[in-house]
Amino acid sequence: MIIKVNGESYFTEKERTTINDLLKEKKVEMPEMVSVQLNGNFVKRENFSATHLKENDEVEFLYFMGGGTQ
Amino acid sequence: MKGFSTKAVHGKALRKDPHGSLRFPIYDSVAFEQESARDIQFAFEGRKPSHTYSRITNPSVEDFEQRINLLSDSLGVVAVSSGMAAISNLILTVAESGSNIISTKFLFGNTYSLFEKTLKPWGLNVRYINMNDMDMLRNSINEKTRAIFLEIITNPQLQVPDMKEISKVAMEYSVPLVVDGTLTTSYIFKSKDFGVSVEVLSSTKYISGGATTVGGLIVDNGTFNWEKCPKLEVSVKKYGEFALVTKLKREVYRNLGACLSPHNAYLQTLGLETLSLRIDKSCSNTLRISEYLEKCEKVKSVNYPGLKASKYHEIAKAQFKDKFGGILTFELGDKEMCFAFMDRLKLIKRATNLNDNKTLILHPASTIFCEYTLEEKKEMGVSESMLRLSVGIEDVEDISEDINLGLEGI
Repeated sequence: MIIKVNGESYFTEKERTTINDLLKEKKVEMPEMVSVQLNGNFVKRENFSATHLKENDEVEFLYFMGGGTQ
Repeated sequence: MKGFSTKAVHGKALRKDPHGSLRFPIYDSVAFEQESARDIQFAFEGRKPSHTYSRITNPSVEDFEQRINLLSDSLGVVAVSSGMAAISNLILTVAESGSNIISTKFLFGNTYSLFEKTLKPWGLNVRYINMNDMDMLRNSINEKTRAIFLEIITNPQLQVPDMKEISKVAMEYSVPLVVDGTLTTSYIFKSKDFGVSVEVLSSTKYISGGATTVGGLIVDNGTFNWEKCPKLEVSVKKYGEFALVTKLKREVYRNLGACLSPHNAYLQTLGLETLSLRIDKSCSNTLRISEYLEKCEKVKSVNYPGLKASKYHEIAKAQFKDKFGGILTFELGDKEMCFAFMDRLKLIKRATNLNDNKTLILHPASTIFCEYTLEEKKEMGVSESMLRLSVGIEDVEDISEDINLGLEGI
């Protein structure tokens, strides 16, 4: 399955990849601080493991540097 | 970590210090280098957890924000250059020209000036009401209301509004409740537990550790659905519950340039570590001084929420438990007596600040409120015979002795 991660094409072998899986697979820095957008929409942290990705999805990993967010 | 003091001392480290420093260093640098052109692009886009430029983000400031976040159990925190920067940044983020906010005239003089003299010409309407009247509050809210703004303990009137009642109305009408928590901090009043949406603070006061530096804080408790704020519509879609913090960090705060310096952040973080000790001492001193002043014949009246005679004692007790803040006011015969009293003091300093380690005295009518007419001052609850005492952490006997010295000669 090919998706876009932070604007770049990414191939994942898994067919049922969740946002949580992708965070681990991509070894995203400071995962406890990251916010995720899926196709331009914000995904709540509690939904990371239940949100499955599909072909051509666009995922953004974003950080609010500073901002002391949980 | 459960206790306030433990959290204040230890904080939460985002990254391990390369040298094992127990104290987070002062990153006194404007810019931060990235490994590649792509990395700097990603840092600007927020796709990489890197600091870029200290007007926007800085590691020492971030460490301070993280500690406040931990102590307030909030969703997000933005540290700014002063308490006034906290208020102005917040209002400019949620309100637009033609919209309104609901407030009271019992405000810090500069906050009132910000509303009336700075923001009014840009089209912000401020409706001043009695915050003890819930019907008046309900009737003042309309579709253009962007916030209800008030102080947890009003300065210098020392009124204590009923936050639970006000937050009920705010929730009923889906309007964010914004409070100035400078005089309480989350050690005395955990605003999140009372339904407050956003708390703004001047961290110059209690937090800075004894008037070391100027600073401010915007604390989003995460209790308000920002979908209800028209100005945050786009931000909500992209950043969800972090809409306010992101709109601030990636636009308003960045563009206004109200950043906290790393040096100030360091000192304020240091101040946080002793916050509970200093608040305990200043509150107990203030209560004892207020009781002492009550007994002084030359003192016409004493105003302190910790006094049983105060109209706000019961609500203050319910909201703050056994700590009523470090500020009291009292009335002498007239302005001349106030000035004569102030000039006789040896220990207590004549200065405008609050919650310093030192006890400070001020005549509000001729200083903070000097730009207003007598009529306006009356409406704001500031009389010519009122003195404001910010009680420090000295030995209480020395403070009362100095007060006695001041009263003897008038």
